Amino acid sequence: MMEFDGEFTSDHPRDELWNYFTDPAILADCAPGCDEITMESPGELSATITVGVGSVKPTFDVDMTVTRADAPEILEMEVGGDASRNSFEAVTEMRLIEDDDGTTATWEARTNVAGLIASMGQRALGSVAARIVNNFFEDLEAKADEGVPAESQLEAKPEAEATLEN
Amino acid sequence: MKPAAFQYHQPTSVTEATDLLAEYEHDAELMAGNQSLGIVMANRLATPEHIVDINGLDDLDYVDVSTERVEIGALTSHRTIETSTALADALPMFPAAAEQIAGPSVRNLGTIGGSIGEADPAGNYPTVLTALDGDLHVASTDGERTVAASEYFIAYMFTDLAEDELITGVSVDREPFPIDRTGMAFLEQKPAAQTWPTISAAAAVRVDDPDADAPAVDEARLALANAADVPLRVEDAEAAVEGESFAETTLASAAEAASEAAEPGEEMHADAAYKEKLAGEYTRRSLETAYERAVDTTDTTGITDTTTP
Repeated sequence: MMEFDGEFTSDHPRDELWNYFTDPAILADCAPGCDEITMESPGELSATITVGVGSVKPTFDVDMTVTRADAPEILEMEVGGDASRNSFEAVTEMRLIEDDDGTTATWEARTNVAGLIASMGQRALGSVAARIVNNFFEDLEAKADEGVPAESQLEAKPEAEATLEN
Repeated sequence: MKPAAFQYHQPTSVTEATDLLAEYEHDAELMAGNQSLGIVMANRLATPEHIVDINGLDDLDYVDVSTERVEIGALTSHRTIETSTALADALPMFPAAAEQIAGPSVRNLGTIGGSIGEADPAGNYPTVLTALDGDLHVASTDGERTVAASEYFIAYMFTDLAEDELITGVSVDREPFPIDRTGMAFLEQKPAAQTWPTISAAAAVRVDDPDADAPAVDEARLALANAADVPLRVEDAEAAVEGESFAETTLASAAEAASEAAEPGEEMHADAAYKEKLAGEYTRRSLETAYERAVDTTDTTGITDTTTP
């Protein structure tokens, strides 16, 4: 299992940010390497995402299940992805904490990675993952700065629980 | 193994190449000297559907040294850089880095643009460009742009280059590095002659007056390869020797700063603690060598001792 984490600070109040984090159209725009996101239900998304480390850049078919959505504080998802000779599963959790200056988003992900990408190792993947997540937060913050309208559309799938198989 | 099937394109101009990249985006991979990508593909770590082989872009094979700046085309081979007397005079760190890359066959075919495009944190040119504050010049169907080396290397083999962009060349301003009072060094620690380095250090030192009894350091540059997930510029090490005449104590502080700044990954033959120690030791050696070359007025090229009688 590999674990990644990080945090990001935003100038915006968390009520406002929450709408951006739970609007599939905003997510599709901001997620690096994301070609499209389809909302299957309020608790389930599917997407096509290309993640690259150097010239190794598989395109994953990704399924995301919202396992916890406590607006505007906690968003937890279970994510699984399959690509040619690569696969991963992950549980991700993000917490939004508001203070006088804005909002701090802390995130962590516990993942199982298999296939070629796994051979790059925690260090290479961690380095790239941190950067990709930061890009995502920066793009999302830019959308909020511009005042792009966002509508919260995600909610937890009933009775869904986040688990990571070993 | 053999690579997976792909479609092969041989553009003859930058425009043709960037058109292909715009069309195929992340299904396409650029191939320059093919000293790295071919291996990755043969092991099927990468399986691009389209290869855009830019070896036909002869316009990108040049070394241009003017009084203001040094410009090197992306398709210039390591061998050309290694043997360039103009570079040896102007910015000897380039030939010193080139001559230590792998073996002769790799150096004949491998290119500076390919090395920078791959952005391996152990790579030589990424470290040289980081030490010398170089710029990269990049083209796409949207036009051309320049990106500073300090902005370009983002994470492990992850760069500011977009899927549809091609590196056309690099440039370094000569102004901070006057040849009569600057010395440079590029030193590597390698487990075997033709392999990747465990640690490399790129150092440049400019002194105030090489004829003085104890010349002081005007400015120092220090970057390490393979000490972090990107080429690592160590400004604390630079600050430790700047404004000082060289002494064991200032070198020791520089080495300590480099060891602290290093965040190395573990390798089969080198654990993290050992690499941190090497980062310090190679910082010390490279700064010392660069300083000696800066104050040695009989050797204005500042290149290796073996070239002077």
